[in-house]
Amino acid sequence: MSKIPLGPFHPALEEPYKIEVTCTGETISDAEITVGFNFRGIEWLAERKNYTQGIALLERVCGICSNVHTMMFCRAVESIGEIEVPERAKYIRVVMAEAERLHSHLLWAGVACNLIGFETLFMTCFSLREQVMDLLESISGNRVNYAMNRPGGVNRDITDPASVLAAVRAIADATAKQLIPIMTTDPTVRARCAGVGILTREDAIAYGAVGPMARASGVTTDIRKSAPYEAYGQLSFDVPVLPDGDVYARIVVRALEILESCKIIEQAIEMMPVGPIAGGLFPTVPVGEACVRIEAPRGEVVYYMASNGTDMPARVRVRTPTFANMPTARVMAIGQGLSDLALIQASIDPCYSCTDR
Amino acid sequence: MVRTALKGKTMDVDALLKELNPGGAYELRRDGYWAVWPDLDVRAMAELMRAREVRLSTMTGTPGADGSLRVIYHWDVGAHLLNLETTAIEGRLPTISDILPAADWIEREIRDYYATEFVGRETTEPLMLRETDAPGLFSRTSDVGHQTDPAVTARTTIAAKDGGSR
Repeated sequence: MSKIPLGPFHPALEEPYKIEVTCTGETISDAEITVGFNFRGIEWLAERKNYTQGIALLERVCGICSNVHTMMFCRAVESIGEIEVPERAKYIRVVMAEAERLHSHLLWAGVACNLIGFETLFMTCFSLREQVMDLLESISGNRVNYAMNRPGGVNRDITDPASVLAAVRAIADATAKQLIPIMTTDPTVRARCAGVGILTREDAIAYGAVGPMARASGVTTDIRKSAPYEAYGQLSFDVPVLPDGDVYARIVVRALEILESCKIIEQAIEMMPVGPIAGGLFPTVPVGEACVRIEAPRGEVVYYMASNGTDMPARVRVRTPTFANMPTARVMAIGQGLSDLALIQASIDPCYSCTDR
Repeated sequence: MVRTALKGKTMDVDALLKELNPGGAYELRRDGYWAVWPDLDVRAMAELMRAREVRLSTMTGTPGADGSLRVIYHWDVGAHLLNLETTAIEGRLPTISDILPAADWIEREIRDYYATEFVGRETTEPLMLRETDAPGLFSRTSDVGHQTDPAVTARTTIAAKDGGSR
């Protein structure tokens, strides 16, 4: 029996995180996860910044799903203040959220392909991701940290919907013709990933797994469907769910979600009504509390906010998807070969920056 | 086989709450169900939720007005969040991490921030802090940063100049 520490810094992961596995031969018999290397005290800081500064701060929770965090912060303020968001702004939020999901899933798919040694598909994923980054830049002016959300609406309109539609259709076409067939049917991908790192449905619920992780284990939860927010209730889309619970199922679920996101953006652009994109000046936030959630690319994000009526929140609590998903790495790794570990942890699509906050 | 998640899948939250605390008061707000039950049996709650396959979304520790720590358990009951609040008596609460492993990291993090002891755990290692750090980071630094931080600007300053009106 031997103990093998991986991390907090090593070539396979670009963020600090440590997993120490106990092995009998090459089979993992236990695993211990250590996080917190990127702890920035963002919740603590958020209670010392005014609401305007808080938006900029929370946008830095994650470099990939930054839009999610400003949207959550604003939605919490809107819930406490009972602030209504204009219809057009709701659709713009959906477009941004789904473009961000495309960005996240394509980035993850590229990294996963790299890990399984499929360099050609890695290049395909990153080429598509570049198109998504261009799309986000064309809407917001930024490739990351888009600064789109404000309490009561959004900061920027979508002024050229035709170009957004054309870009999304090109991404959907390339995904359907190139990416999906390889990721869902290629024998190499299947041979490397099927049956590896199984998370049962029972464990997924007990560990509180969320997002594609949970849906690849047969859990039919997607906040966009179960508790629709913004304009999701008006849009038609499917939520891919697979019962197998292995790495392969996570790949297929995320690959199919890329197409669904394209479908959602197309509908949102076509259905987006004419009208204002935000209310008036930054509102005063009354005394109160709220707990809100949305479906981020990696799964449910939860924000709790309490206001004491001043210009700074009294409490901001942020629960990110990786915080919920990462503990499942232990149960998925036990019984697996050491060589599968990198693939298993990558299949979570982890973000340690989010986790540590 | 690809299936589709059910739209608006939900459960009978009223029945669930009555089973958990018959006669206990609760309300449905814009953002979900809320109940404040200081004497909540958190282990019975966890057992019931596990049996009903209700997912623990997260827990929030937040200081109360009297210096106590409010702990809110957020449960995913489909179309709504169910937010059940209790109070840590003298900084202690029974653990539920042996019933629901989802609570393991959250309890460790609350201890990191507020030094709350979750009774019944074999060990409570720091999650965000390091082993040499004392627990209760947020509690120990609750007075730090408010006055000297440039965050206290804009609206507060204007309000002060206007004689306190906002």
